[in-house]
Amino acid sequence: MTESKPVLHVGIDLGTSRSSISASTGQRHVVESYVGWPLDMVARKVLKKPVLIGHEALENRSMLDLHRPLEEGLIKDGSEKDEAAVRELLWHLLSLVGVARETRNGMKVRAVVGVPAEALRVNKQNVRKAMQDAVDNLMIVSEPFAVAYGLEALLHSLIIDLGAGTTDFCVMNGRLPAEEDQRTLTQAGDWVDEQLSRLTRERFPEARFSIHMVRAWKEESSFVGNTRTPVVVTVPVNGKPTQIDITQEMRQACEGLLPPIVESMLDLLSRVQPEYQERVRNNIIVSGGTGLIRGLGPRLEQELAAVGGGKVKVVKDPVFVGSDGGLSIALDAPDADWEKLTS
Amino acid sequence: MLQSKANVDRLKRRLVHDLVQQNVELIQGRIHRPHAPRRLPYLRLLGALALLLASTALVGSTRLLSTLAAAPAPVRPPGATLATSAVRAGQDLRANPPPIAAVLVSQGAATIDPAVLPLAVRRIALDAGHGGDSHGTRTPLGLLEKDITLDVARRLRQLLEAQHDFEVVMTRSGDSAVSLAERAAIANRSGADVFVSVHVNWIENRASHGVETYYLGPTNDPFLNRLAALENRDSGYAMADMRQLLDGIYAGVRQDKSRELAEVVQRALFRSLGRVNPKIEDRGVKSAPFIVLLSTRMPAILAEVSCASNTDEARLLARPLYRQYIAEALAGGLRVYASTARGAAAGNGG
Repeated sequence: MTESKPVLHVGIDLGTSRSSISASTGQRHVVESYVGWPLDMVARKVLKKPVLIGHEALENRSMLDLHRPLEEGLIKDGSEKDEAAVRELLWHLLSLVGVARETRNGMKVRAVVGVPAEALRVNKQNVRKAMQDAVDNLMIVSEPFAVAYGLEALLHSLIIDLGAGTTDFCVMNGRLPAEEDQRTLTQAGDWVDEQLSRLTRERFPEARFSIHMVRAWKEESSFVGNTRTPVVVTVPVNGKPTQIDITQEMRQACEGLLPPIVESMLDLLSRVQPEYQERVRNNIIVSGGTGLIRGLGPRLEQELAAVGGGKVKVVKDPVFVGSDGGLSIALDAPDADWEKLTS
Repeated sequence: MLQSKANVDRLKRRLVHDLVQQNVELIQGRIHRPHAPRRLPYLRLLGALALLLASTALVGSTRLLSTLAAAPAPVRPPGATLATSAVRAGQDLRANPPPIAAVLVSQGAATIDPAVLPLAVRRIALDAGHGGDSHGTRTPLGLLEKDITLDVARRLRQLLEAQHDFEVVMTRSGDSAVSLAERAAIANRSGADVFVSVHVNWIENRASHGVETYYLGPTNDPFLNRLAALENRDSGYAMADMRQLLDGIYAGVRQDKSRELAEVVQRALFRSLGRVNPKIEDRGVKSAPFIVLLSTRMPAILAEVSCASNTDEARLLARPLYRQYIAEALAGGLRVYASTARGAAAGNGG
């Protein structure tokens, strides 16, 4: 009689900025996609850890060799350190849902990992390589598909997944998305950060700030259109903490995303079979952390008016929508299918 | 209007099944290949015989050539190509050896069907344009062409080697100056089956942008002279005859294959980059006398993978994902080309 191990199913959203995990035990966790190793013996003594992950790594970045191993949603190529960072990140996520590194607590771990819509074959292989020791069975899936699956928006819908590294578009028409159903833009959250940083530096050349601070401002106050609340942040100017108003810069940086997103959205919609276009237009789902830019949904609806109108729904819980979708796939896949996917 | 629960469940089951299949293919490293048109058995036989004869000419088997030359001339239907003549000659090789002289003298380069010379692709020479002191063009953001091309070439190398079905030779793997002659020499020495030079375009009109691919233009390849001289040494045929044959078979095929490669790569570039850069223009496939293409001995192309003079494309070129897409498009084009060549080889080989 064969020994049957308890099975843990997990869905993982491996993101440029944040990575999340949803487990069949009901646990859900999110970490910043940062991994850092102490720079020297002193740092190691102070930090008391061989490797730091997520927010902890970001907080102690001055003492760390800090890596953000996913660039634009892909595992960076050619850097062993970044590959190691991805492995550490994955192990960390698994440890958060109770999977011990060496033994996996005697559990069989089955994981569905979401990657950008058009993640390239080599990068899928890299994900597989990075995870091979961590899980027993592994399935890789396009991130917007995982979102659509989790929301059961599998037919006549358009998913716009606004992440940090990429904006992924995926038309769902009841089958696995093909090339022509998907599109990826490199204008996404990080791009907004770059624009905001540049614009702020141009207007306040004396102000000192880092890209991490800019990212925090965006996450707190991003918007398109009008706002009643000015965006005021505190930065050192000539060594003195000073409040600066970056409302205009924030608007300009965020609205810079609109033209490419609108263009891609309308183009993909125009390629949908005519009889289904209206249904898809009325079933547009915006997910991802950057999708939380205030006013984005209504603004996209305004743009849809030119082609007959449509409805845009912004996912309220964008942090876990991808990993939850991955978990749904993991739970729905039959055992026999999982056995074909030994990592 | 809304899908019923049962329908949704059925749809989910099908999607999960397809997803599992897709992942199984990923694990097995299977590559989707377009279905090659099915060839009739007799065409395979004809192809094989044509290949045999053409190969014989290429390696200069003077013994066979002499034997054939001594035989009486067969009657060749007007307008028949070398390939079909060669096939017919091959079919009756034992009974009625055909005269090579008749074949040699009467055939023009343009009449050879490249399909009878299936050139399998195993080794690929990648040439990252510029390097060292030769910076190439510079984007408005300050990015240098030599760095972009090297990054794309490295990514492309990884993509091609990932499935262990290609060997890659780089003409430069770091920021070093390599002359055009040396680049071609590296490719030639390595015995590469195809040569791909990666460049970034710069156009006076800053509004212009897009991708274009060049292939080998008309050439007087010195390799053919050397090979013809060598192979013709003991054959008793005039140098001009051998040259004509080799030009016809080899140079014509090389040019045709280069154009074919340029076409699939250009298609892949335009299609793939269009998904991340919707405004991209298809500037088409062109022939030009780039030295690096003229000096290589294998099907050779030069891809202008985007336009540094255009602000939008310059911005995209600064992004790793865009460069990865360029590499992926080039790899895709090369795989399609190799797959077609393999299909032809399988077809011809029976």
